Amino acid sequence: MLALKNIHKSFNDHEILKGIDLKINKGDVVTIIGPSGTGKTTLLRCVNYLEKPDEGEIAFSDFQLNYQSVKRKDILRLRRRTAMVFQQYNLFKNKTAIENVMEAQIVVQKKSKKAAYEKSLEELNRVGLADKLDAYPSQLSGGQQQRVSIARALAMEPEIILFDEPTSALDPELVGEVLNVIDQIARSGVTILLVTHEMSFAQNISTKIVFMDQGKIVEEGPPSQIFNHSREKRTKEFLSHFNSNYTKITTAK
Amino acid sequence: MKMDFGYMIKILPGFISVLPLTLVVILCSGLFGFLLSVLVTGIRIKRVKIFSPLMELYISFTRSTPILLQMLLVYYGLPVVLSLIGININNWSGTLFAIATLVLHNGAFLSEILRPAYLAVDEGQKEAADSLGFTSFQKLTRIVFPQVLPVALPGLGNALIYLIQDTSILFIIGVVDIMGTANNLISNDFGSRQIDVFLTVALIYWAISYMADKFIKYFERKTARYHLENGLTR
Ligand SMILES: Nc1ncnc2c1ncn2[C@@H]1O[C@H](COP(=O)(O)OP(=O)(O)OP(=O)(O)O)[C@@H](O)[C@H]1O
Ligand SMILES: [Mg+2]
Repeated sequence: MLALKNIHKSFNDHEILKGIDLKINKGDVVTIIGPSGTGKTTLLRCVNYLEKPDEGEIAFSDFQLNYQSVKRKDILRLRRRTAMVFQQYNLFKNKTAIENVMEAQIVVQKKSKKAAYEKSLEELNRVGLADKLDAYPSQLSGGQQQRVSIARALAMEPEIILFDEPTSALDPELVGEVLNVIDQIARSGVTILLVTHEMSFAQNISTKIVFMDQGKIVEEGPPSQIFNHSREKRTKEFLSHFNSNYTKITTAK
Repeated sequence: MKMDFGYMIKILPGFISVLPLTLVVILCSGLFGFLLSVLVTGIRIKRVKIFSPLMELYISFTRSTPILLQMLLVYYGLPVVLSLIGININNWSGTLFAIATLVLHNGAFLSEILRPAYLAVDEGQKEAADSLGFTSFQKLTRIVFPQVLPVALPGLGNALIYLIQDTSILFIIGVVDIMGTANNLISNDFGSRQIDVFLTVALIYWAISYMADKFIKYFERKTARYHLENGLTR
């Protein structure tokens, strides 16, 4: 359904992504893991064209885009099929929760106010925020803001939702509520590309795990393979380092 | 010499009759100065090659020289510069030069208000709009501008008040506005009633500024909602 081909990206002559190929099928939950600074965020941002790759291609079943010759129209088309959930939520601060969810439906999808309102109500319900419709972002907790931003992404009915460490800006006690929401939408068949450091969560919800290191995909496969029978030394090293950290977090919860 | 209210009332109609001219100068300079400043701000924010450093130069110059000097430079210099590219403005009236000066002056000054206000809207919100498929224009009008406005408004309000006061130097290049009229009155009377004349002018400027201030405050109240929700309330 979605294929990334040979994505390259450099910042100031320093190559961050060194040729990424990745296939994602409809309904897949693909989780990218890997050390800090490896280019996970950059890859996600490239998919959404928030970052312009130097080289490479993205292909949907009926639409394909070569990053070396993009037109403005293509960028908008790409963005309208993908939605991004940011680490810092990035809600529109001058709009209430429901207005945040409605805005792009009205502006981008040209829906009527009424249709947008109903859709937004449905999605806010889905993330458990039906009682916060009229709250402004400044009046919501981090976890609630992130759930609004997930509703905002869902409301666009994108072909894929990109999550970049959706819980890493949150206080530990708020992580659970956001993971629950992501878990639930993953199960409902939404296609997801996720970056996270929550390893047991990744193991739990993913159909595929991608381990990235130094701008390259080192290994990919079902969670059972990556977490229990990894073929690559670097993957094992990374995970072993991580497991020791993770127990600390679980006891803290 | 004592104050003569009768005289002040007697000369008032003379001022009222040139009031429209002063208001037109203020409105045109304010409006076109604002539009110019939006353009200048856009160039600076987008870091347009060559133009962006030029804008910094233009702003630095405008902020660092007296407006009276700027007006004289425009009055004597602009015709020369434009004649180089084949445009003849020798038949321009003083009023047009006055407006040109104030537009250039405000184009620079307002940009110093708009740019920080734009930067106050965090990059994350702009990226969120991008990622949802907003066009640049939709992003600007729906997300950025409503948040820039309340931040910029107090500064823009002050700038309007300064603009009103700045019109008081236009008589120097022969514009017969409020100050110009005052000047004529004084020279007709050989300077015998200066205090009455200047006091009348002061009251008129006060009245205009007062109304401008009310207008701005009304606008600020209308956009106060965004202040509150941005957590910017002071
Ligand atoms: N706009 C930019 N300009 C210059 N360098 C950048 C930019 N964005 C990212 N980088 C660099 O690219 C590298 C990869 O960054 P990226 O954020 O993609 O890593 P990551 O895998 O998401 O890391 P983390 O797990 O810490 O979020 C880093 O070295 C970073 O400093
Ligand atoms: Mg990252």
